[in-house]
Amino acid sequence: MDAMNFNFACAEPAPPKPGSVGIIGAGPSGLAAAGYLSCLGYQVEVYDKLPKPGGLMLFGIPGHRIPAERIALGVRDMERKYGVIFHTQTKICCSAPLHDEEGDHFCKEMLGFGELIKKHEAIIICSGSWKSRKMGIPGEDLPGVYSGLEFLFPIRAARYQSPSVKIPDVAGKNVVVVGAGHSAVDVVHGAIRLGAASVTMCYRRTAREAPCGVFEIERAGELGAAFRHLVTPLRILGAGKVEGIEIRQGELAEAGERGACAMVPGSEKVAALPADVVVAAIGEIATPPFAKELGLEDVRKGEVHWLHMTAIENVFVAGDALTGPSKIGKAVYSGLRAARSLANWLDLKALNRQDAYAYDDLIAIDDHKGGARP
Amino acid sequence: MSGEHKILSIDYSKCIGCETCESVCKFANDTPRIHMTRTRDGVMAPLYCHHCEKPNCALVCKRGAIRRDRDGAVILQTMHCRGCQTKSCLVACPFAAIFETDKGVMLAKCDLCANRRQLGLGPACVDMCPCGAIAYVARAEAEALETDASRAAFARVMEHIKPSGPAGK
Ligand SMILES: Cc1cc2nc3c(=O)[nH]c(=O)nc-3n(C[C@H](O)[C@H](O)[C@H](O)COP(=O)(O)OP(=O)(O)OC[C@H]3O[C@@H](n4cnc5c(N)ncnc54)[C@H](O)[C@@H]3O)c2cc1C
Ligand code: SF4
Repeated sequence: MDAMNFNFACAEPAPPKPGSVGIIGAGPSGLAAAGYLSCLGYQVEVYDKLPKPGGLMLFGIPGHRIPAERIALGVRDMERKYGVIFHTQTKICCSAPLHDEEGDHFCKEMLGFGELIKKHEAIIICSGSWKSRKMGIPGEDLPGVYSGLEFLFPIRAARYQSPSVKIPDVAGKNVVVVGAGHSAVDVVHGAIRLGAASVTMCYRRTAREAPCGVFEIERAGELGAAFRHLVTPLRILGAGKVEGIEIRQGELAEAGERGACAMVPGSEKVAALPADVVVAAIGEIATPPFAKELGLEDVRKGEVHWLHMTAIENVFVAGDALTGPSKIGKAVYSGLRAARSLANWLDLKALNRQDAYAYDDLIAIDDHKGGARP
Repeated sequence: MSGEHKILSIDYSKCIGCETCESVCKFANDTPRIHMTRTRDGVMAPLYCHHCEKPNCALVCKRGAIRRDRDGAVILQTMHCRGCQTKSCLVACPFAAIFETDKGVMLAKCDLCANRRQLGLGPACVDMCPCGAIAYVARAEAEALETDASRAAFARVMEHIKPSGPAGK
């Protein structure tokens, strides 16, 4: 297995440059930025709260889809050939209290954001998007209700043996998965592998509109999962633990002339599905430390004077932390662009000529704005 | 001869449609030459140049703007391309791997990262695909890497580009 070459931008490291760069988060965006900047000769230090670099590539997406070894080899090359220092199990302390996001219980060390700003010439925040979105319906707090990441993360993390990581117990149980994105599909596969008695995927629209695509739904079907379209979850049923989920179920109209799929008007009926486990895989929201102080909203809109720079001059931001949940490719691109922008800023700062930076690139009609592709 | 030349080969059965190849290509070359498409059954897959042994695009280009370079890469010489209206090359490509752009001659195609090859580097997408789904290997070797799964996945993507039978449009 060949390494994922985060240092693809160069054949060998450039002579060392003065100054160090700190990167918070070792997901695809942070690793891409680390690779790029270490190619240029900067001393790069990467901080991650988890025991291994990789971010969601390693701890969210199931291993049969992305080989862990390929990431590990790429990280090793960065360490050995490019002198990148990885501080794992180190959380950069932020506004949110500890144990609020998935994976927090792994960190052994806490470092203040302020310390980091002083330690490094510049910083890139690549902390991803880890707080799960809630369904916002009654009963959501019952034991047995998980978010996509709450369900998937322990499956991947269990091998790193932390006593507080517990794989969801679904053997012989009825599992209902809400959502039809890639993480919903991953949950379905996970639940089937863990021996669930039944797995039902519920989606508010139709299979044709599902972000994961019809092919994935059919494949889940072959593995034994059921798919229900036009479902709106109303509340979680149960006393003390999940016993079912109440839904509003629509009926699909016959495919019209244009093959469009629509609901038969007035066909919606309320129904209860028995369930022991409900997983709401309906997306995550970004959790960068100090979102407000950093003025991330402005960075998102591109209203900044330096691409990817936050309200704090030497602090940059990239990846899902900036855009919200996206894709590996988008996160990588964002990390690379932030790294290039940061390097430009450091260069010109060394000359005390930041003003000379070409302005056009900055207000970029930016590609980092997530967004679905046609 | 051309059998020894290295080409790109994507194993669609390993590909998870994450767009990293396209992103990295864009970063390395400004205009990406590998493009994601969403097949009718909702699978995201990258379309790319196979640097064919008998490239159809080169055959149909009246200006001779598509040539093979020293390393066997089929390249579009923008200097000779007239950006003509017919865009025969684009239509001729069986893999839908020549792309319209809004810059220069309005066409872009993979040159196996010619600028990187000058420096002894390989194509950037190969380096960064998280799944190791893209191989940069001699044509014969690419064939040897095929599996039942990769052939089936390839057929699904091709079915999307060139629908066969009455179901297609
Ligand atoms: C279940 C699931 C399936 C997915 N499937 C796909 C797919 O098939 N294809 C695809 O393209 N995308 C997929 N995605 C999305 C993709 O994983 C993300 O878009 C991508 O990983 C984002 O990269 P990132 O570098 O921005 O952040 P992340 O990968 O989230 O990495 C962020 C890193 O920062 C660390 N961190 C966070 N806060 C701190 C802190 N305060 N201190 C220290 N470290 C911190 C985290 O531990 C983590 O390692 C999926 C996501 C999920 C959840
Ligand atoms: S980078 Fe690899 S896995 Fe991702 S879309 Fe491209 S070929 Fe597929």
